Amino acid sequence: MYLGVDIGSSSSKAVILDEGGNIAGQAVINIGTGSRGPQKVIEEALSQAGIERTQIARTVVTGYGRMTFEGADKQITEISCHAKGVSAVAPDARTIIDIGGQDAKVISIDELGNVKNFVMNEKCAAGTGRFLEVMGRVLDTTIDGLSDMAERGVEGVTISSTCTVFAESEMISQLAAGKKIEDVALGAHKSIAQRVAGLVNRIGISPEVVLSGGVALNESVIRALEKELGYDIIRLKSPQTMGALGAAIYAMGLDKNGTEA
Amino acid sequence: MKHINDMIAELVDVANHPVRSVRTAMERTGKKAVGCFPIYTPDELIHAAGAIPVGMWGGPEMGNLSDRYYQTFCCSVVKANTHQALRGDYDFLSAVLVTAYCDTLKCTIENWKVAVPHLNVIPVVYPQNRKLEAGRQFLIEEFQRIRKELEKALETTITDEAIEESFALYEAYRKAMRTFVDVAGRYPGLIDATARHAIIKAACFMDKEEYTDKINALIEALEAVSAEEHGQKKIILTGLLAEPDEFLDLFGENGLVVVADDLAQESRQFRVEAAAEGDALTRMAGRIADQDGCSFLYDDEKSRGAMLIDLKNKYNADGIVYCQLKFCDPEEFDYPIVKREMEEVGIPLLYIEIEQQMDSVEQLRTRIQTFAEIL
Repeated sequence: MYLGVDIGSSSSKAVILDEGGNIAGQAVINIGTGSRGPQKVIEEALSQAGIERTQIARTVVTGYGRMTFEGADKQITEISCHAKGVSAVAPDARTIIDIGGQDAKVISIDELGNVKNFVMNEKCAAGTGRFLEVMGRVLDTTIDGLSDMAERGVEGVTISSTCTVFAESEMISQLAAGKKIEDVALGAHKSIAQRVAGLVNRIGISPEVVLSGGVALNESVIRALEKELGYDIIRLKSPQTMGALGAAIYAMGLDKNGTEA
Repeated sequence: MKHINDMIAELVDVANHPVRSVRTAMERTGKKAVGCFPIYTPDELIHAAGAIPVGMWGGPEMGNLSDRYYQTFCCSVVKANTHQALRGDYDFLSAVLVTAYCDTLKCTIENWKVAVPHLNVIPVVYPQNRKLEAGRQFLIEEFQRIRKELEKALETTITDEAIEESFALYEAYRKAMRTFVDVAGRYPGLIDATARHAIIKAACFMDKEEYTDKINALIEALEAVSAEEHGQKKIILTGLLAEPDEFLDLFGENGLVVVADDLAQESRQFRVEAAAEGDALTRMAGRIADQDGCSFLYDDEKSRGAMLIDLKNKYNADGIVYCQLKFCDPEEFDYPIVKREMEEVGIPLLYIEIEQQMDSVEQLRTRIQTFAEIL
């Protein structure tokens, strides 16, 4: 059995593959690096697979917390792992947009799931999951709640600021000006889509386009992005675990010394 | 080997302690010092005036004093220089040459005249059409004006003979540096990316004769030992500069060796050899006319991409890292062109945004590690 662990800034993910490369267990815990999240997510994935830790032949760790995780045979960046994981479930994917808790990445991949090029957001929360969290808080709801609200929005308000803090005060101003809460929520999604589209333009886009990471569970973001980019986006069943899946696939390719077989 | 390590450590120490190094050089030589903003200042004229040119390349502390004069989106090198100037760190300088390549620098000339008048700001303006005869003539006259302003600030006379001698010394220095960057990449165990950068930067804070002697001695010592066999991937750095050390350390950490550079702070300073004909000022203007592939000088051929491809082929490099100093717009405008040209020939290119004052390099670690994984 092979274990892939993806320790992000706000969540931990684990995928276990059997000898045939089939998913035997997978789990997501919404706490990330620096917490007990990684340990708990591994326990959950092991229990789902019905195996003990000792039955894991190789482990690859990825994500923001990869440098401090002990007990892996190798650490590989989340960019390479997302590419590998997405390519396994969506072989036609050539552009991956990965929106995580604190960063956003656009990855251009080849037909084998190898990274051709990539770009990441800079030191700014605009265009990330954190942005939606902050906006949700202004409207007294969760990210999912924000998405539901946006579904009911008709005309999204314009939120022009690239800075999350200023965008937050813009939203408050829009509410104070009497704009409907649903339209403000839709505006927040449009805003994140515009930031991410800017990143996509830095690298160039080629179909198929896939959205991975926790934010990909949010249908309103996907729709806003499709509109902004002018491309359909493939919906994944489990967008959060693509990094961990990629890590597990890499683990399958390692020999007992932790080097590529 | 200990001998080589000592030579390297000495130069790295100079680069890591700029103020101390310059003061030591001033005390030892009895010379005055003149500050030089990035890049291509006519250092030969300062040397000919009997003073030490000091490179002013920002630093690890940006502070907040510069906020009186700059917006948040100005480059950190200029902001750090201004912070240090306002704090009095540069009061030992007799004058400061400030170039005018970008909007931030142009306004810096104006603002420094108001903010730190005692530092004797001397503007340096390069012609847009530097390859035309009129452009060359303009630049020679600009050098003559700077010469007069330096004479006034340093209370001395700069003779034609002194300029010729200084120019010859600088040509020898530049030749030594071209050899050094060629040789250094063969010894990644002795000279990693961080040491390579510091050795080159040390030239900003030392008397040029002494520095050139030390570099030549280091090259000789290196060439006496056989080149290291390494299976590491080779990269080329391009941009204004590649700092801080925490960023450069990531290359070694991920098995990447810097075999060449196209950095304004490094090889662009010395890669052009002057034509043989003419007096020193004509040859100095000629060097600027012949300097291609630099985002700070108008280049109607846009030759940077072609030069990077040549460099990649010459050193058999695996990839290129575009070191983008945050808010450095001349470099930002070049990137899309370079990116397209590298894509056309299939050269892996990594775009990295840096600031000299970076507390955390975690995001950079992910980017550089991914690039190493791609290579």
